Amino acid sequence: MKATYRVLAMLIAAGVVLQAMFIAFAWFTAIKDMDDGLVIDKNYDGNIGHTLHGQVGMMVIPILALLLLIVSFFAHLAGGVKWAAIVFGLVVLQIVLAFLSFAAPAVGALHGLNAFAVLGTAAYAGRRAAVQMKVPEATMVPGAGVTP
Amino acid sequence: MQRRKLIAIAATVVVLAPIAWFWQRSLVPDNLSPMAMGYADYGGGPQMAAEHAEHGRELTTLTGPAERRPDVVVRLVARKERFEIAGRGSVEGYTLNHSSPGPEVRARQGDLVEVTLVNESVKDGMTLHWHGVDVPAAEDGVAGVTQDAVMPGKSFVYRFVVRDAGTYWYHSHQQSHEQVRDGLWGPLVVTSAKSGRDLLAAVHTYDKIRTVNGGYGERRTEVAPGTAVRVRLINTDNGPMTSWVDGAPYQVVAVDGTEVNQPSLVTGKSVLATAGGRVDLLLTVPSDGTAVRIGLGGGPTTLVVGPRGGVAPSSPSAPADRVDLLSYGKPAPIGFDPEHADRRFEYRIGRRLGLYNGKPGLWWTINGHQYPDVPMFVVAQGDVVRMTVRNTSGQVHPMHLHGHHVVVLSRNGVAATGSPWRVDSLNVEDGESYEIAFLADNPGIWMDHCHNLPHAAQGLVTHLMYEGITTPYRINGHTKNNPE
Repeated sequence: MKATYRVLAMLIAAGVVLQAMFIAFAWFTAIKDMDDGLVIDKNYDGNIGHTLHGQVGMMVIPILALLLLIVSFFAHLAGGVKWAAIVFGLVVLQIVLAFLSFAAPAVGALHGLNAFAVLGTAAYAGRRAAVQMKVPEATMVPGAGVTP
Repeated sequence: MQRRKLIAIAATVVVLAPIAWFWQRSLVPDNLSPMAMGYADYGGGPQMAAEHAEHGRELTTLTGPAERRPDVVVRLVARKERFEIAGRGSVEGYTLNHSSPGPEVRARQGDLVEVTLVNESVKDGMTLHWHGVDVPAAEDGVAGVTQDAVMPGKSFVYRFVVRDAGTYWYHSHQQSHEQVRDGLWGPLVVTSAKSGRDLLAAVHTYDKIRTVNGGYGERRTEVAPGTAVRVRLINTDNGPMTSWVDGAPYQVVAVDGTEVNQPSLVTGKSVLATAGGRVDLLLTVPSDGTAVRIGLGGGPTTLVVGPRGGVAPSSPSAPADRVDLLSYGKPAPIGFDPEHADRRFEYRIGRRLGLYNGKPGLWWTINGHQYPDVPMFVVAQGDVVRMTVRNTSGQVHPMHLHGHHVVVLSRNGVAATGSPWRVDSLNVEDGESYEIAFLADNPGIWMDHCHNLPHAAQGLVTHLMYEGITTPYRINGHTKNNPE
């Protein structure tokens, strides 16, 4: 379970990196398509980059975050549930920020900022699991985790 | 140890149970009857007695005249194949008689049109819907509501009388958000003695690029200097399109197949054709040898009308000022009295975060309900119906009612003062509210949906139902009917 926790946390972090790549790819593609005759108006529903960003952001990462939370209940990692819950909460916040941004594009900046929070907390949760896996469970004390 | 495990299982249940419940609730059932879905909204009118239904009529009997000889006979063969876009190259998609758009169907007012649709290779099946033509219900071409999708190797015959002259179009109403986009559409023109010289400007976006009459870039139509010509603008895309004329004044002579009463001359203004909507512009080619240019939403594709080699002026973007059909033209009788309505409905379009068919997202709602749990607007034949369409969803919606034309009474509380503004496709911007009215004079089960077709596929769909009309068709299930 600890290994699963670690893998899920790292997948979420990797997912955030992919999301940044997809959205950059999407808009550079759109700009090139515009040079090639594309008109971006109400009729435009994005390109493959936008689709991937939407699917990974709306389906893949939320499911991974949910699995991380469930696995955390069984993994007996010190602070494991807490950090999984934080990651899950930040993922939900990320989706809410995305939808608010359609009406208020300035909120989109917070969507970009919160992405780093998801990345950071997921990576940290994964690293905590990795560290605790090296320590035998018997010697664990509550609160033990990554030593600075 | 056992206790810890139990706590973990309990926590899992606490997290998963609400998600599973919302997920399950959001699933769209298979084999859905358009009659059984949603909940009945009688609009304050009399509710239909149950025994009434048994004396009802099946929709399949509401066909065009069976005996009469057709005046216009067309055979349309649908295929999945590559086709050529003039000025651009070839794209993969769907064709009708080896081209997209399909052939122009042209009839005279009062003609009986007979179209045989042959599906050669459209895998998911298809139909043809006669957008804007108030056909009898069985000819409306909506998979799962008025017929089963026509599967590959099968055919279907549509027969209907075109009672009103005007500009229309046809398109598939099976998997329409993909099939229309990829080519299963064409123009339909009904002329009368008053129509005069005309030409088409049918706009469609294929593979990211906007085209007019199937061509990309500056397209030219030769018309002699001094000639008056009616340009039939058809917006077959998913978003509203601003159009304008450089080089000559124009009149908006018809909207959605209805003539405008006493249209004034327009200069320096644009006109909006919403998704699915049509606008006829009357203009006269200048006698000095120059041409006029029709701007189509901006971008590289425009239509130039004039003599060979005639230079057309060009403004890069739409004039900011727009013809407002609420006050354009002069009033005239509308043929019924909306002040004495038999039923009053509300069609409130909203949006909320949640699940739709198991998928998380921001989804459309109708009167606060999500598809398929949406209001079904029930009317009786002969009713005068009023409807308030209110949009607070954050996005524009081109609302299309099948089988009827509605008259706009007011917008945001401001009463209409121009020519009767009669539409089948109404552009409702975010924050706008329209009062509309219509006469329930065409029994059937009629889709009333957003013509931004991906929005319809996301559940922005309901029906107008006539009491006593039943349909044997089903959405989803083994028939593979999937109208949106």
